[in-house]
Amino acid sequence: MDNTLTAKPAGKSLGKALLYTLPMFLITFVFITGGRLSFTDPAEVLAIFLVFLGMNVLYFLMHYTGETDKFRAVLFIIFAVSLSFTLIKNIVDMRSSMSFSQADIVECRIPFCHLVIPMMIIPAAFTKSIIFPGTILGNFANISSMIVLWLAATIVLGRGFCSWGCFYGGWDDGFSRLRKKPVIRKISDTWKWMPFAVLFMVALTAALTLVPTYCDWICPFKAVTEFEQVTNVESAVKAGVFISLFGGLVVVLPAMTRKRTQCSFLCPLGAINTVSNKVTPFIIKIDKTACSECLKCVAACPLFALTPEGVKAGTVSVFCSKCGKCVDVCENKAIHFGIKGIPPGTMKNFTRNLFLFVSFLFIAVFSAGSIVFTVKSILDFVI
Amino acid sequence: MIDSFILGLSSGSACLVTCGMVMFPYLMAEASSVKKIAIDLSVFLITRLLVYFILATVAWYFGQSVFSSDLLRNYVPGILYIAFAVMLIWYSLDKNRKKDCPASFISKIDNKKLIPLFLGIVNTLGFCPALLIILTKSATQGSLMKSWISFLAFFAGSTLWFFPVPLAGKIRKKQVIVTIGILATGIAGAIFIIKGVIILTGGIING
Repeated sequence: MDNTLTAKPAGKSLGKALLYTLPMFLITFVFITGGRLSFTDPAEVLAIFLVFLGMNVLYFLMHYTGETDKFRAVLFIIFAVSLSFTLIKNIVDMRSSMSFSQADIVECRIPFCHLVIPMMIIPAAFTKSIIFPGTILGNFANISSMIVLWLAATIVLGRGFCSWGCFYGGWDDGFSRLRKKPVIRKISDTWKWMPFAVLFMVALTAALTLVPTYCDWICPFKAVTEFEQVTNVESAVKAGVFISLFGGLVVVLPAMTRKRTQCSFLCPLGAINTVSNKVTPFIIKIDKTACSECLKCVAACPLFALTPEGVKAGTVSVFCSKCGKCVDVCENKAIHFGIKGIPPGTMKNFTRNLFLFVSFLFIAVFSAGSIVFTVKSILDFVI
Repeated sequence: MIDSFILGLSSGSACLVTCGMVMFPYLMAEASSVKKIAIDLSVFLITRLLVYFILATVAWYFGQSVFSSDLLRNYVPGILYIAFAVMLIWYSLDKNRKKDCPASFISKIDNKKLIPLFLGIVNTLGFCPALLIILTKSATQGSLMKSWISFLAFFAGSTLWFFPVPLAGKIRKKQVIVTIGILATGIAGAIFIIKGVIILTGGIING
């Protein structure tokens, strides 16, 4: 075990930061350009260049400054907004409206997202059918590619998917950063079990009714993607629920608590990702010998993964999404990215670099398409 | 039927928490084996089922008389759903629910064999908000058979929580499971608020 790697904290070395960025530079170039070198549309070239440059600057800054969260959050928030923009633009181009009709459901023209996965498992096992009106291998937001991407990410990153891959998480992450100090400080620890209750209810109702009930009745992100055409009282109530939950859990509460309340208190996929945190090799570790128990990390954690008791015992709960916020606020560098089996306080730089490479590569590759599309659309509009 | 089952399944945890502290010592203290606990539990559950059938019949009968006019039939159940669902959410959030068990008097019963029977009756007639919701639903059903089925589904859902009782000592993370169940009760409350709003705004009963 190379303990000498702990001698110097991460960051502030230009040469090393550039060296660490080089592999990301090459891989993202291939993915963002799609392997092509000739383009006919100047706006597309400019969009690709800006996205490529922006991503690599963020990754470079992570290594140069030694800070993770604020640079991750920039890409994460841009990803959320651009994905919604891409989805809405595609849907409006296809249907001339953000709403979908019964005909769209019958013809399986609904874009698939990872939040449906918890509801699909039981019906798929018992009825051998997928209870979602989307395409399995279609060109746009198909079911199979989304499942494969999520499965790969959740096995490798665990709940890290919620901070490095989920294209909705950026919304409440963004709103949780609006205020410098929280208005609501005390929130009962019990609420962090709510996503499991939601998971239990939606999995059960979906299994009994063979309808993706979370999408049908609860999902707050319907407000920024697509929703059922309002034709009767029931669809009007559904629209009211979507808008209320988006306003409450994604905008107002995150702004007032500085916590990601939708991810913490509602998302059923977050509950599954919490369980998958048990198998992922990457975890956040606390070096008790360096920890002064100032509890700044507990206050900073946006997902209630850290508790005062846990910090004193040197443990981080399975609710952790590895966003890096606690790592950045720790003045003693006692809390750090780690790998299971490696003792806390050792190989800090190596484990951080390895985790950043894997997680950043995932979000960069996953988000590139929608960000390029959004930037190109803005350039087309401006030019 | 599905919403009755879901209501039973979600509210069963609150039922267990409310009366668990009173019931478990009596169901388990006298027993030396899983078999004995299973027999007591069976008596308790059969009693609950019988009381539910009686309640379903009474609710349906009163429903036929009370909800005879369209105006009452289209609006009163909606209001009741919302009121009881709000109570259910409050019930799931109330940290003092353990003190409210209606079965606490059973400590005065001398004949221990009758305790599961009494527990079954008292636990059922505790009139928790979930029971009030299912009574409302039963009262608005078109036939007695549908009313029975609603209660049967409610019973089936809530009973699932009692099956692990003989193995209670061996289950790890009991508190987490019960916490999730209690939170699910609140979600069930939210579902019935929405159902109530739809009935009130659309006038569609059991739609």
